Amino acid sequence: MCTPYPISRKTFLTAGLALAATPLLRYVPAHAAAMDVTEVAPGVFVHQGRYEVQSPDNRGDISNASFVVGSEAVAVIDTSGSAALGQELRDAIRAVTNKPIKYVINTHMHPDHVLGNVAFKQDAPTFVGHYKLSRALGTRANTYITANKQMLGDAAFEGTEIVLPTLAIKEPTTLDLGDRTLLLEPQGTAHTDNDLIVTDTKTNTLFLGDLLFSVHVPTIDGSIRGWLALLDEMGKRKAARVIPGHGPKTMELPEALEPEQRYLSAIAGDVRQQIMEGRTLAEATRTAGFSEKDAWKLFDQYHVRNVTAAFAELEWE
Amino acid sequence: MPTAFKSLARSCGLAALAASMFVFASPSAYAEEDMWPILKEQTFGDRAISEEDGLVVLETPSKIEDAALVPLTVRVPPSVKGKIKSLTLIIDNNPDPKVATLNFGPAAGTGGERSFSTRVRVDNFSHVRAILETEDGSLHMTKKFLAAAGGCAAMQAKDPDADTADMGKMIVRKFTPALESSPVWAAQVMVKHPNHNGMQLDINTAEFIPAQFVKEMKVTRDGELVFKLDGTFSISTNPNFRFTFGRGDENSLDVVITDTDGTVFEGQSQPKGS
Repeated sequence: MCTPYPISRKTFLTAGLALAATPLLRYVPAHAAAMDVTEVAPGVFVHQGRYEVQSPDNRGDISNASFVVGSEAVAVIDTSGSAALGQELRDAIRAVTNKPIKYVINTHMHPDHVLGNVAFKQDAPTFVGHYKLSRALGTRANTYITANKQMLGDAAFEGTEIVLPTLAIKEPTTLDLGDRTLLLEPQGTAHTDNDLIVTDTKTNTLFLGDLLFSVHVPTIDGSIRGWLALLDEMGKRKAARVIPGHGPKTMELPEALEPEQRYLSAIAGDVRQQIMEGRTLAEATRTAGFSEKDAWKLFDQYHVRNVTAAFAELEWE
Repeated sequence: MPTAFKSLARSCGLAALAASMFVFASPSAYAEEDMWPILKEQTFGDRAISEEDGLVVLETPSKIEDAALVPLTVRVPPSVKGKIKSLTLIIDNNPDPKVATLNFGPAAGTGGERSFSTRVRVDNFSHVRAILETEDGSLHMTKKFLAAAGGCAAMQAKDPDADTADMGKMIVRKFTPALESSPVWAAQVMVKHPNHNGMQLDINTAEFIPAQFVKEMKVTRDGELVFKLDGTFSISTNPNFRFTFGRGDENSLDVVITDTDGTVFEGQSQPKGS
């Protein structure tokens, strides 16, 4: 544990931004049934989020969340987008096993993957992430809390706060769950600057977080160059199955990566061409990558932002 | 695309459009108050300002996707024949409303369309104004409304370590016109600089990241001033400017940028073309 400030200090800040409760007095919101999860391999459970933007209707249930059960402990891999959903995920775990929840791992900083962390505080787990996760999430906490409260509405957002990692992963690291280990590999800047690939070595299942989008259009919040390079590397891996951050519960390599590679390559190609022709960012956002429009859900919500990010990166080449 | 998918996408799209408009807006922050009379008084005193008279045109995106990176372009149409003296960009509801003031020099050029583009942060729903001062000292204003918020508190750097490693890297690029005899040429200056505005709280340290931003930029062509820009932290991370200048003999551009820490960054265009 290496929190630089006492928890009360952080809580005070978060509370000042969004909440009026302390963790001890935190109101645990009423929640529906346990989260719907599927056992995709022995001891590996996945919940599939919807292909939507956060709303009061979906309560932030828009990303995949998983857990792995060992003979001694449980590890959670991403916690969905609110305290209530985190609690429902915890209920799903408790419907399967009473073993202690020892690790809560976040694959990256985005709120739809980390805001359920708070529901696991009662288990006093080690919160685990890429060594750059703490800074990335810490500097965006205010923005994420404000935006998600607005998108989910007060009821669905109730009890949600940012929980930062307590174990920073800088080198490939294994976590022991009893009779099975998880391999955690921090990546260079790709989808974000804090992407972590988690492998359940027993079943050879790869949890790719948002390094893999399927159906839901990819979102660039790191480096398009880094991401494309990493996808080439990922395509060489052998895995029994991979779990995307957004997409079906399981997919297979290397086919799973192809649509995303095609999408990012289309943007990179078009944007580079326009930069070469001396065109502006505003011009590029009107045309680049639009050949991909019908291939993805939520294209209209994220594509122009992706082109903006790609342009601001590639113009430095 | 199957029909069911299409209609789903459309209904999600509407919800998301509404969400994206408000995505970063803080609940109570939209200032209804009209700041312009005060800003005008502070910036231009009691000078008369002619509005929407066609001497200056402002282009903004129809839909803003990233409030921390909003492209703005100001154009002075070719029908404006004389020299231009200054250009001021103001975003009424930003913490520091003044985005930039450019004072033009002898190498700013005449005889064609003149333009200036940059990328800005937008903190809250606001008007953005471009105020042009022409040779005779008269002021001409145009304005647009920006439906975006949260660009100031948002952490813009996607890869802060890479940006820090490259800090001060500058690219000065000229766009040689199709007709080299054109009297007005275009160029671009981009510099790797966080342009920190002091508004990003890091809850790891419970401290705000200190402000550090580009304060001044001087562009000269063959030793003559194109413009001097006084900037604020309303300009986005990795400041990026496109502008026009008057064609000269060598068309060699020199750029000197000074930030609030007093650090000086210098750049120069290549002798021939871009």
